[in-house]
Amino acid sequence: MSPAVAAGAGLYLHIPFCSAVCPYCDFAVLPTAAASSRRYVRALIGELAMLAEEELAFDTIYFGGGTPSALAAADLEAVLKAARGRLASAEDAWLAMEVNPEDVSPAALDGWRELGVSMLSLGVQSFQEEELRFLGRRHSPAEGERAVREALEAGFDVVSADLIFGLPGQEPGRLLDSIRKLVELDPQHISCYQLTVHEGTPFHRRRLQGRLLELGESRQGELYELVHTELSSAGYSAYEVSNFAKTKAGRSRHNQKYWDHTPYLGAGLAAHSFSGRRRWWNEPGFEEYCGRVEGGERPLAGSEELSDAELALEAVMLGLRRSAGLDLERLRTVYGVNLLERNAALIERYVEDGVAVADGRLRLTSRGFAVADAVARSLDLGLD
Amino acid sequence: MKHVRNFCIIAHIDHGKSTLADRLIQACGAVDDRKFRDQILDSMDLERERGITIKSNTVTLEYTAADGETYQLNLIDTPGHVDFSHEVRRSLMSCEGALLLVDASQGVEAQTVANLYLAMEYELELVPVINKIDLPAADIDRVSEEIDADLGLDPFEAIQCSAKNNVGIDEVLEAIIGKLPPPDGDPEGPLKALVFDAQYDKYRGVVMLVRVQDGVIRKGQSIRLMHTGADHVVEEVGYLKLEKVATGTLATGGVGYVIAGIKTIQDINIGDTLTETERPAQEPIPGYRDAKPVVYSSLYPMSSEDYGDLTKALDKLKLNDAALTFTKVSSAALGFGFRCGFLGLLHLDIVQERLEREFGMSLLLSAPTVQYDVTLTNGEAVEVDNPSFFPDAGDVECVEEPYIKASIMIPEKFLGAVMGLCREQRGEKTQFDYLAVGRVEVTSEMPLAEVLFDFYDRLKTVTRGYGSFDYEALDYRKTDIVKVDIMVNKERVDALSQLVHRDKARARALHYCDKLAETIPKHQFKIPIQGTIGGTIIARKTINAFRKDVTAKCYGGDITRKRKLLDKQKKGKQKMKMVGSVEIPQEAFIAVLKTEKEK
Repeated sequence: MSPAVAAGAGLYLHIPFCSAVCPYCDFAVLPTAAASSRRYVRALIGELAMLAEEELAFDTIYFGGGTPSALAAADLEAVLKAARGRLASAEDAWLAMEVNPEDVSPAALDGWRELGVSMLSLGVQSFQEEELRFLGRRHSPAEGERAVREALEAGFDVVSADLIFGLPGQEPGRLLDSIRKLVELDPQHISCYQLTVHEGTPFHRRRLQGRLLELGESRQGELYELVHTELSSAGYSAYEVSNFAKTKAGRSRHNQKYWDHTPYLGAGLAAHSFSGRRRWWNEPGFEEYCGRVEGGERPLAGSEELSDAELALEAVMLGLRRSAGLDLERLRTVYGVNLLERNAALIERYVEDGVAVADGRLRLTSRGFAVADAVARSLDLGLD
Repeated sequence: MKHVRNFCIIAHIDHGKSTLADRLIQACGAVDDRKFRDQILDSMDLERERGITIKSNTVTLEYTAADGETYQLNLIDTPGHVDFSHEVRRSLMSCEGALLLVDASQGVEAQTVANLYLAMEYELELVPVINKIDLPAADIDRVSEEIDADLGLDPFEAIQCSAKNNVGIDEVLEAIIGKLPPPDGDPEGPLKALVFDAQYDKYRGVVMLVRVQDGVIRKGQSIRLMHTGADHVVEEVGYLKLEKVATGTLATGGVGYVIAGIKTIQDINIGDTLTETERPAQEPIPGYRDAKPVVYSSLYPMSSEDYGDLTKALDKLKLNDAALTFTKVSSAALGFGFRCGFLGLLHLDIVQERLEREFGMSLLLSAPTVQYDVTLTNGEAVEVDNPSFFPDAGDVECVEEPYIKASIMIPEKFLGAVMGLCREQRGEKTQFDYLAVGRVEVTSEMPLAEVLFDFYDRLKTVTRGYGSFDYEALDYRKTDIVKVDIMVNKERVDALSQLVHRDKARARALHYCDKLAETIPKHQFKIPIQGTIGGTIIARKTINAFRKDVTAKCYGGDITRKRKLLDKQKKGKQKMKMVGSVEIPQEAFIAVLKTEKEK
């Protein structure tokens, strides 16, 4: 184990099953079936057994999906045991897990508590009946509300709820209603994602057929602003473009690693890993994934070695998405990019327009977050 | 000499000049049918495709007439368009007569008349020829009437033919012999020969096309160009019979070529007079004048790394196009380019097209401008053909701009519309004459600058394509010209500055602002686009900032995909021109500048 890279890495465990696949989802998911989930759990454990060579030590573990709550707690435990048995991980590694509201019950909550879950992330998405139907969700607003309440009562360190906004024709009032309802429940963490129509999803097909009319950029902007002002006034601060927490302790310890180039290891279908220099990813197909592991082979599908220029570009792109902003000093010393000097007039303009703050770091304001991609595009790094 | 005839064919575009030339060449057996191709005298692809003649050419034909004698016919092919009128003039100077070709269905057109006047200026003998008589729409009676009324020629002299179907060609040849005079001149006198055009041959250098007036040109002779004063030795002399045929001498009255070791077209002046070094003529042949550019535009390569290629391409074009002028310019927005001078819009068009087709260049052209004569308050006079060099309004005493006399031929029913158009184009002394029943000629004195903007297209629109247009230069007249600057995000885009009449400044500025607002993508900040005169805003548009441009989710698997997209977008950005912190795509410049011609 090489301690230099080892300390504080993240482990991601992908559980691809859902009781039904939502029409906007582009993750590696498949409908739950008892036989395939048994095969998958075995394969995942098999893959973990092959991963010892990766020489990373973890202090966060994240069950994502799909819906990890679609698996029985015993299966999750078996996977965790395999991970802990083969990979160096901190005794008190912080464990997070995504669950769907309809899977939340007192018994299930007890099970997850026993697994050692610190952060429970609930796919609430909306408190509007017709919005949930449109999104293909299987729970009602009341179930969503109950799930958050019970999760909070169960005493996890962090309970998080996801909302999706920017639905076709969405009125600001409806969104506001969902946000207020959620704020009233008072979870420690909230994620608010704008609906994105990804290629290959049923929503994308509908859009091509003209049956789904996306909200215009200006309306999206309006809703985005509403999300940020409303949550901010309720005491949730945006520590990333789509993520809000009441306190520092309430942030997702695992997810933050993606944004500052901390190494992470992914296991499971289509999972991505990053060593600080290299990124690689697993087979996205269920058969291929399971088949290769069963054949005693790592289920790798691809990898890339990142150049300094690519790492610098990522650092800028990711840094601008965070309230912590971009570490200009690090950018200069590690990658030789003097961002302020190269983009003096532009940055001055951003500061003037209230898009950014430059105080040793380059940080976007909440207005700036709304156009973070455009800002990232506009900055000249002088690398090629 | 009495067995020589030097002639040209003058005609309106599309009246069949090249086809008639083809038939005459074939009838004299100058080319075997296997090698023949249509429009044989037009060697440039562009000429063949557009059916126009850009460079003069000449062919010497042997014709055995009905009287049993063999004659030497020198057909001098001239460009038809007004932009090349200096070449037309020199070609006419080399002839004793001309065939005046009229389309049997179209009748007398603007250029027919304009060319007739030119031919009359040089006292050429004229034979009217009515072509395309076998077209269903042919109206020989009406055309005969027009020849009488509009041209003042005897319609009974007119020869009827169909060059396309080889009808009446012998009659045309006999008329050339019978009605056009042979050249006269002093065979014993000191050499005097008109250089009426020149071609560039990459192996031989300059090939001068000449018409011998007095004396004889011989191989080995020392000759002098009277205007430049340079002496050269004749390396080769002969006739052009589609290919060069060296003969060793070119006699009095003859038309042919001379090669004398001259390296580039810049070393000679078209229209110059050749004489003997030993025994120079007293006076050169009169009528020499410089071909002066009247239209200016800056050419920029679409991508700045092609600047070197553009330089080479222009140098090559210049070898064969003495009228093209260019000097290096640099624009903050578009990089390095060339300020070019042209004889007119067609010339500009042809140069642009040749650069694009023959040299594979992809170009951006600034709005065409005329040359203004500016008198400064300190009494100094300056010529300005580039908006960048237009003096500050405070220093300008007065400005004069070139006027033209526009001549527009139209069917009568469009008279009202065309008169209105002339008024909008600042036309003065607009008049009209009935040329024949139903056909009107409108003449108007208007600034050349107005013609450059969108006159052609608007004329085409209001006359539904039936209008024909021609112009001749008049004089310079006092005008109220202002410099309109276009500011994008408060920064001036130098390539878009233009000189416009004050009355039209606002509309033009607004048009530019509109086009830019349509084509510049949204940025993270508001972008004001303004048209200004000396800092005063006369037009304004705003591109709103976008409110939303960020990906919602960015976790493990999203990062690579997102970085690649960002990288691609950043590369795409390199194709944009940066003006301050605004990225202006090439398409925006194209959209703004193209509309000049294609609105």
